[in-house]
Amino acid sequence: MDRSYIARGLERCTTRRFLMWLLPWTLLLAFGLYAAGLCLFKGLNQTNMDNRFAFGLWIFLDLTVIALGAGAFFTGFLVYILRMHELKAVINSAVVIGLVCYSGAVTVLMVDVGQPLRAWFTFWHPNVHSMLTEVTFCITCYLTVLAIEYLPLLLKNRRLRQVPSFLVFEFELHRVMYVLAGVGTFLSFFHQGSLGGLYGVLRGRPFAFREALGVWPSTFFLFVLSAAAVGPSFVLLTTWLVEKITGHQLVERTVMQKLGRLSGVLLIVYVLLKTIDTLVWMNRTVPGEGFSPQQFYGFEPFGVWILFAEIVVFGLLPAVVLLDARRRASQAWLLTAAGFACFGVALNRFVMTIQTLALPTLPFDRFLSYWPSWQEVGTFLAVVAYGVLVYSLSYRYLILFPQERDLKAR
Amino acid sequence: MFPWVNGFKWDAGHVIFLGAFYTVVMIVLATVVRALVRSRHHVRVEKVEAFRWKQDFHDLPARDRRCRHELNGEVDSRLCENGFDCRSCAKHPEFVQAAAARADLPKGELFGFPMPLDRLYHRGHTWVRKEKDGTLSVGLDELGARLIGKPERLDLPELGQHLNANATAWSAARNGATIRVLAPIEGTVLATGGPDQGWYLKLRPDGPQPDTRHLLRDGEAVRWMSRELDRLQLLATHGACPALADGGALVEDLGAALPKNEWAAVCGEMLLEP
Amino acid sequence: MAANKSARYGMVIDLDRCTGCGACMVACAIENNVPPANAKATERTGITWMRVHRLGNGRPFPDSRAVFFPILCQQCGHHTPCVAVCPQNAVEVDAATGIVDQMPQRCLGCRYCMAACPYHARYFNWWDPAWPAGMEKTLNPDVAPRMRGVVEKCNLCHGRLHRAESKAAAEGRRDIAANDYVPACVEACPAKAITFGDLADDQTEVAQLARSEGAFRLLEKLGTESKVYYRSERPWVHQAVKSGIGKEPQRG
Repeated sequence: MDRSYIARGLERCTTRRFLMWLLPWTLLLAFGLYAAGLCLFKGLNQTNMDNRFAFGLWIFLDLTVIALGAGAFFTGFLVYILRMHELKAVINSAVVIGLVCYSGAVTVLMVDVGQPLRAWFTFWHPNVHSMLTEVTFCITCYLTVLAIEYLPLLLKNRRLRQVPSFLVFEFELHRVMYVLAGVGTFLSFFHQGSLGGLYGVLRGRPFAFREALGVWPSTFFLFVLSAAAVGPSFVLLTTWLVEKITGHQLVERTVMQKLGRLSGVLLIVYVLLKTIDTLVWMNRTVPGEGFSPQQFYGFEPFGVWILFAEIVVFGLLPAVVLLDARRRASQAWLLTAAGFACFGVALNRFVMTIQTLALPTLPFDRFLSYWPSWQEVGTFLAVVAYGVLVYSLSYRYLILFPQERDLKAR
Repeated sequence: MFPWVNGFKWDAGHVIFLGAFYTVVMIVLATVVRALVRSRHHVRVEKVEAFRWKQDFHDLPARDRRCRHELNGEVDSRLCENGFDCRSCAKHPEFVQAAAARADLPKGELFGFPMPLDRLYHRGHTWVRKEKDGTLSVGLDELGARLIGKPERLDLPELGQHLNANATAWSAARNGATIRVLAPIEGTVLATGGPDQGWYLKLRPDGPQPDTRHLLRDGEAVRWMSRELDRLQLLATHGACPALADGGALVEDLGAALPKNEWAAVCGEMLLEP
Repeated sequence: MAANKSARYGMVIDLDRCTGCGACMVACAIENNVPPANAKATERTGITWMRVHRLGNGRPFPDSRAVFFPILCQQCGHHTPCVAVCPQNAVEVDAATGIVDQMPQRCLGCRYCMAACPYHARYFNWWDPAWPAGMEKTLNPDVAPRMRGVVEKCNLCHGRLHRAESKAAAEGRRDIAANDYVPACVEACPAKAITFGDLADDQTEVAQLARSEGAFRLLEKLGTESKVYYRSERPWVHQAVKSGIGKEPQRG
C-alpha cells in the first residue's frame, strides 16, 4: 500500500503489520502526553519533587538520554572529520537517535520548569557564568543542527526525491555536511561538558563539587569523555535491537566491532581519569571543605558499593571486554559490554543528580528519599514512545542503513 | 543577549560567550542559505536531471558500478567514478590506447540471446543507432525488454524536448511500480515509438558528429552483456550461486516470472536506479 | 545607617535565647504574602522563608539538650551559589545593601538555585497561590505575591527597606534611620534573639556581636561569606555544628 514510499530493494513488512506495531506506542504516547499535560496545567505538584529534591527523575533521565544520544555527534565527527568511512553504515541511524534523544530531552525540560513560556528569558538575559545558560544555548543550537542533518535523510525518501528542488537541496546539503558535523562536534563538546559542569560548580554540595581546570570543573571533561565513550555503544545496541525486531541484517559485523572498540578505548581513558578525579576529590577537595568522604557514603542505600559499581563493574569491566578483539567478535560479549557501559553512564548521571540532592548539607538535615510519581514516569514514557515512533517511521520510509541492501543480496 | 538589553556588559565573559554563539548561528545559517541558493540556481538552469543521475549513481552498490575496462578484462578491478560518462573520464583514452592492439571476433548473439552489433549500447540497457539521415534511433536492448516486459503505461517524452545523456528518457509503469530508462545520448526528440516498433525514440543529435565514446560496441558490448546476465542472476536469486541445474536462456518476460516487489527491485537495479 | 553607602545588612541570631517558638516564621509569612499551604503540601513542599530547625545533642535523658536554628537565606556575599548558577540572572547581590535579591518575574522555575543552595533556604511554588475567601484582606500591599512555578526566598524584608527609604526621602534625609528598617522576624521575636543591622558599620551592635566570641557561621569552609551569624556560649552547640552533616547514618 505504501510500497512507493519505501526505497527500492528493501524488504519491509506489510502496512497492516506496521500499523499494528505503531499502535501500542501511540497509546503509550497518548498516556504520556496526558501525564505531561497534568504537570503543565495543574503544576509541578503533580510530581514527587520537593524543595530538597529540586531535580528528580526527569533531570536524571534527560542527562542520561543526552549522554546516550552523543553517538550522533561522535559518529558524525568520525565519519566527516576523521573520515572513518566504514561508520557511514550507522551514521544515519545515529542522527535519528540523536534527534529523538535531544528533542525528547528538550520537551521534558519544558515540562520540568515552572514557567515554560519564560524559556526565552535565558536567551534574553543570559548569565554567561552559569553552566545552565551554556547548556541551554548549546542544546538549542545543536537540536537545530540535528534537524538540518536529518533533512537529507528525509529528502532522500523515494517519493520526496522525485521533487526536483528537494533532490538538489539534498545534494547541496550533503556537500556541506562536514561543516554541520564540525559545528555539531563543537556544540556537543560544550554542552556535554556543561552538563557535567552543572554539578561540578556547586560549592554548596561538596559531594558534587570538583576543582576546576580553567573555568571548568573536572566533571566538565569527565562528562564529555563518558558521553563520547558511550555514544558508539548505544548506537551498537540500538542497531542490534533493530536487527532483532525487523529480522534483517543491517550492518556488517565488523562495523559493530569497530563501534565496540571505539567505546572501549574511550571508556578505559575515562575510567582512568575518573579514578584520578575521585582520588583527588576524596583526598584534597572534600577535606578542604571540612568534610570527610566517608560522610557521603554513610547513608543507606548509597554506600561505597555505588562508587565501586559505577567505576569498576560498569566502567572498567566493559572497557576491558570491549578492548579485547576476541571478545568483541562474540555478539554476546560485545552487546553485554556495551549495555554495561551505557548503564554505567546512566548510573553516573543518577549519582550526580539524586545522590547529590539526597545528601544532607547541614547538621540538622536528614538524608531524604525520593520516588517519582506516575506523572513523572508517564511523561518520560511519552518520550520513549515518541522515540520509537519516529525511529520506526524513519526506518521504514528512509534509508537508515546503507549496507542493508548489499547484505540482503549476499 | 543584545547590547541594548538590561544586564548586558562588555566584559570578557559576555564577549566570548555571545561571540561564540553568534558565530555558530552565522555558520549554520550561512550553510543552509548557501545550500538553498545553490539549489534554486540548479533548478532554474535545469540541471536537475544531471543531479538526479549523480545521486542515483552515487547510491548504487559497488557491483553495479564496474568500469567497462574491468568488464573487458583490461584491468582487474575498477569502479567507475564518473557516472559512466567515459567522454569526460581522464583514464578512458589511456585504456583505449593500451587496448588498441586487441583483435576480436564479435558474435551477434550470446547463448541464443540476441545481441545485434549494428548499434551502440549504453550501460542503462538502451542502444543507439546512427541512421543514414543523421538522426539517432534509441531503443531498449533485449535484456531491458525482457526485464520490463509489456508495460501497462509508457510515459514517453514530448516531441521537441531536449534530453541530456543519463537523463530520464522514458518511464514504464507495471505492477504498481514505475521504472525509468536512462537516455543514452543527448539530443532533441523528433519522434516516439514503442515496444512494437522496435525503437522508442528518434533523436536529432546536438552536433553533426555526436560523441559516442561512452557507448559500448562489438566484442566489448558482448562481454558486458554476459556480465550483466550474471549480475541479473545474482540479483534475482539473492546471491545464490549458479547450480548445475541452472542454465538455459533468459525468460521472455521477467515481470511475469518474479514476484511483484522483487521484480521492481531487480528491474530498478539492473537499469541503474537505486 | 546609610542607605546610599555600601551597606552589608545581616543578622546575628543568639541561639541561647531562641526558644523555637516559631513566631518569626509566622511573622515572615504574613509580612511577605506567603500563601497558605495547599491541602496536599508537606514539610518538604511548603514555603517557609524562615524555618526553625531543632538540633539535639544526641544524649539520652536527663542529659539531652536541644538548640533551635532559625534558618533563612544566609545572604551569601562571596561566591554566592544561587547568583552564580541562575541561567537568566534572576538573582543578584544588591551592591548597595548586600541583600541577595530574587526577581520572581524573571524566574524560569528551573530550580538550579535550589540545588545550589546548601542552606536549603529557597522554596518553590509547587501550587498556584490561593488565599481563602476573606484572607486576601491580610495581604501586605508592599510585597508582590509570586506565581506558580517560581522560586522565592527571604530578601530581608526588602519591602520594609523601601518603606524606610521612602520615609527618609519624605523627611528630607538621605540616610534611613536604624529603627525604620527592621525585618518582620526581628520585630516578632519575643526573646529578642535576632540582632539586625549593617555589618559593614563597625559601630553597630550587630557588627560587634558578629565579631564576638562564640559567633560563627554555617558551613564557613565553603567560603560563602554569609551575612547571617549564629551565636552561642554552649560548647556542645559549636561541636554539633562543626561535626558536619547529619551525624549518624540513617535510613533514607
